[in-house]
Amino acid sequence: MANAKIMIVDDDPDYIDVVKTILEREQYTVVTAGNKIEGMEKIRAEKPDLAILDVMMNAWQDGFEMSRQLKKDPQFNNMPILMLTAVDNRTGIGFKSTAGDPTWLPVDVFLDKPVEPDVLLSEVKKLLSNKVENGTGI
Amino acid sequence: MEPVSENIRLLKRAYWLIKLRWIAIVCVGAAIYVSSNFLEIELQDAALYSIAILLALYNLTVLLLLNHFTKRGNEVSHVAVKKIINVQISTDLLILTVLLHFSGGIENPFVFYFIFHMIIASILLSVWDSYLQATFAVLVFGLLVLLEYLQLIPHYCLRGFVPNCLHRNKLYILGTFFVFATAIYLAVYMASYISVRLKRTERAYMQANILLQSKDQIKDEYVLRVTHDIKSHLATIQSCLGMVVNKVVGPLDDKPMEFINRAHVRTIKLTNFVKTLLKLTQMRLNDKLEIDVFPLRDTVRNAVVAVRTKAEDKSITLNCDVEPSVDTISGNQFSIEEVFTNLLLNAIRYTPEKGTVTIGAKNGMDCVVIEIADTGIGIPADELDDVFDEFFRGSNARKFQKDGTGLGLSIAKYIVERHGGKIWIDSIEDTGTKFWITLPKGSRQSQTT
Repeated sequence: MANAKIMIVDDDPDYIDVVKTILEREQYTVVTAGNKIEGMEKIRAEKPDLAILDVMMNAWQDGFEMSRQLKKDPQFNNMPILMLTAVDNRTGIGFKSTAGDPTWLPVDVFLDKPVEPDVLLSEVKKLLSNKVENGTGI
Repeated sequence: MEPVSENIRLLKRAYWLIKLRWIAIVCVGAAIYVSSNFLEIELQDAALYSIAILLALYNLTVLLLLNHFTKRGNEVSHVAVKKIINVQISTDLLILTVLLHFSGGIENPFVFYFIFHMIIASILLSVWDSYLQATFAVLVFGLLVLLEYLQLIPHYCLRGFVPNCLHRNKLYILGTFFVFATAIYLAVYMASYISVRLKRTERAYMQANILLQSKDQIKDEYVLRVTHDIKSHLATIQSCLGMVVNKVVGPLDDKPMEFINRAHVRTIKLTNFVKTLLKLTQMRLNDKLEIDVFPLRDTVRNAVVAVRTKAEDKSITLNCDVEPSVDTISGNQFSIEEVFTNLLLNAIRYTPEKGTVTIGAKNGMDCVVIEIADTGIGIPADELDDVFDEFFRGSNARKFQKDGTGLGLSIAKYIVERHGGKIWIDSIEDTGTKFWITLPKGSRQSQTT
């Protein structure tokens, strides 16, 4: 799915630049936002094909809340979400979630920061092709 | 200890009072029977048995009333429960006085059983209420003695126990009543003194407990924030360097590239170290562990598959010997798999090329025994006790492999012990190492510990 539009929401501008550079080399169109509010506004305006979200932004569960809002919204509930975070939640002894069940992640893929460019690209490609297969692509 | 609300605590004590009363009723019945049948003491049996029955009916009523309150749970105010207890104790005092009236009045030594009511009142009620109950007891009993003395009500002499009726003996009644009244007030004073102090200590403990819980939460959030901040800075540094190293952005001369490479490698190491350290801290802080019953065979196999390439790189023979009958265990599958993978990786790391690493599992009595053995460099005998300590690395291990956090075995031990298991080590330097792990067999339903 060449030229697909990808939204990156992260409060770390340096990390945004890294991910943006990797994605743009593969001809993806990248839109970025530095926080939850800006992210939601831009997602509504730009209607991206995929969103890459950070978990902890201004508040530590911003990414979770964003993904929950998006999955509830009929306009975006088919948009795949890739979550990138520096907080690991896969150990079963992972961080405490005050947002409810810690195993409940309303995202399609969960990757631990830092992520290798190859891994990121292959996950992005997989999510976008799944979206096309499911007939929800543009 | 979870703090229990005052009204629930009082309700529980009100039930305790009912239980005590059942015991008292049985004792009253037995005492009447024994006194009149075996000790040949003259008693008003019919009246006394009737009072005992009345007491039982009254106790049943209070029980039903309390059950009604219990159903409302937290909605019941502790003032209401306190009132019930107050009424119960006053009624008990009245009934005891009536019992005494029909069994010799002041001649009956059971008169000192009023003291028990005073102790109960001091435990359950406020100091003020306890003194009021004491005054009530003294007045009610005093009235009984006075009315019997003035012959306004009949006196049932305790013949067979006292040589002659004493209810008109001034010295006896004044003396006994004086001792009775002082004993009642002294009992309230002493019991309240202890009870108030105990209540104060209990309240202080409860407040400390609440404070501790909130501090714990602040600490957890602090660690989580620090975890995120350290890791995200490192992730960004590593990713930026990775852009250069992986030539995602333009080429660089050999010399600058070499230094960027070194910085990249060191950042990866630091990231891994921080991740491991923070994981251990998080595990310690977090008291929740998702538990499931799962087959151990699959977990061992997954761990073997995860490390196979590393073993092949060093031409190490990797054996997996799991008994077909090995049972399921209850625990967190992800963590247990991580323990096996880490121990296997450790074994591969410290085993020279063409060596052998074996993982085996068999059933024990009430546990499953897992054994991970290698033909590696071993651990010096004098260092065996320290291998599970945080940051500890064997002296020969440091020479053999420069890198290593010294945290892998601490994490393994922590996870195994959190599962109610044991881990220990057997090693001979230059020959090999054997780790033993026992994990309880799984029979419990999925749960969270």
